[in-house]
Amino acid sequence: MIEVRGLQVRYGGRLVADVPELDVAAGECVAIVGESGSGKSTTLLSLLGLTEHAEVSGRVRVCGVDVLTASPRRLREIRGARAALVMQSPQAALAPATRLGVLMRRALRLHGRTDVDRVMARALEAVLLDPEILRRYPHEVSGGQAQRFAVALAIALGAEVILADEPTSALDVTVQAEVVGVLHRLRAERDLALLLVSHDLALVSTIADRVLVMKDGAVVESGPAAEVLARPSHPYTRELLEALP
Amino acid sequence: MTSTGALLRAERVTLGYGRRPVVHDVSLDIAEGGVGLIGESGSGKTTLARAFLGLLSPMSGTIRYGDRPLHKADMKAFRRDVQPVFQAEALDPRMRVGRSVAEALPRAARSRVGELLEQVGLDPALADRRPHQLSGGQRQRVVIARALAVGPRLLILDEPTSALDVTVQARILDLLASLETERLLITHNLAVVRRLCRTSHVLFAGRVVESGPTSELLSNPAHPYTRALRDAVPRLGGDPPEPKGATEAVPAATGCAFRLRCPLAAPVCERPPEPRDLAGRRVACHRAEDVLSS
Repeated sequence: MIEVRGLQVRYGGRLVADVPELDVAAGECVAIVGESGSGKSTTLLSLLGLTEHAEVSGRVRVCGVDVLTASPRRLREIRGARAALVMQSPQAALAPATRLGVLMRRALRLHGRTDVDRVMARALEAVLLDPEILRRYPHEVSGGQAQRFAVALAIALGAEVILADEPTSALDVTVQAEVVGVLHRLRAERDLALLLVSHDLALVSTIADRVLVMKDGAVVESGPAAEVLARPSHPYTRELLEALP
Repeated sequence: MTSTGALLRAERVTLGYGRRPVVHDVSLDIAEGGVGLIGESGSGKTTLARAFLGLLSPMSGTIRYGDRPLHKADMKAFRRDVQPVFQAEALDPRMRVGRSVAEALPRAARSRVGELLEQVGLDPALADRRPHQLSGGQRQRVVIARALAVGPRLLILDEPTSALDVTVQARILDLLASLETERLLITHNLAVVRRLCRTSHVLFAGRVVESGPTSELLSNPAHPYTRALRDAVPRLGGDPPEPKGATEAVPAATGCAFRLRCPLAAPVCERPPEPRDLAGRRVACHRAEDVLSS
């Protein structure tokens, strides 16, 4: 579902992300791990052509669409519908004066979906949210509920790929476990391709099949999650592992 | 000092905003070796911290500073003894960080800015930078340097590392562990408390549900909420978490507040649990024996 070859992202000539190879198949979870400034979020955003003012080169295919050469119209077809983005602060991304139900209904109609009520009910059930939440405004829900609503929106729109950028780092540990658990279950049930960006190696180790470790824009280590964690070959990966509280 | 040696102590404190109490009947000492206040958003831990800082008066009960009620204490001495460390966003964005630290020092001691920055592991040359020119970890170190400027005996730390990367968090925890100052640490992450606090109190819906030695609470929790908090911390190579959709269940208005989320809830939990001593800690749960043995 995601195929990246020789991706380089530059801002003002400075190389901020250099990813030679990244593949995520349907039903697979791949995690990009690294600290702030490592280029992990830039990599994620470039997969949907969302890196404004950046020079991007290489080949990026998401849901069969060549993102770097696609027309804006073609990009809109995959963005939000086939490939959904889940951000760190979903509440900040939701229109503050719009009830969640209106927001979800509007998004579904915009993408030409029919049978809206049934689709909405099923999506909320999949993320363990009470349909009552649709009557609420974004400020009336908790961070964990807002994050699961963002995932429900992706599911309702029929996402095949979910790109999640630090989806739980603003949440309490108990709520974090719920969100990660929901993502993990949906991946298996719906054969989703899940690309997860996080600074927390312990968290990603519970659900990722493969891991890419990034530092200063470069991929310093990659491989099956269990192998990278058991036998880290790069000193930075070892540093990340030792930092776990 | 009180007879127990606690610098600060809460005695049956109830706290609230307006007429609505959000922290109920809490008694605890801030004793030596670090004290952790653990709970999720809305549990009342920050409200309790505000009371310990003298920023919120109790609706009932007393906060004691040494042997006097806090509202009757010498506030100048109190502000010198007890300093808050909030998240790094508390820095003035327009002010050079050296000046932020200097403001906390007496005029005659302003030359100590470089020394304080060094104490928290920062290059004194960074004093000329503004907050946005520093990384998140560096900003948090500045906040700690400013709190240390007056030579406090106790730091009240409210989620000091939750906005930071794990590597940066680890270095800040090392720094805090190396300081001789006592600490009250407020966090939702039990793994962080393990490093810094000998004693911990777990809050749920404004009530202390379990108190005791941190190592005991982590290795063998007696309250189902403590156990849920512990199990929610991801372990390297651990199993994927099982979502249950339970975290948003509102606290029960009667009986045990945790019962609507509790996997062990029984009819007895419709009565409020009294705190009791059990297995080296204090716990408020009817089913504590079952939690310990399961």
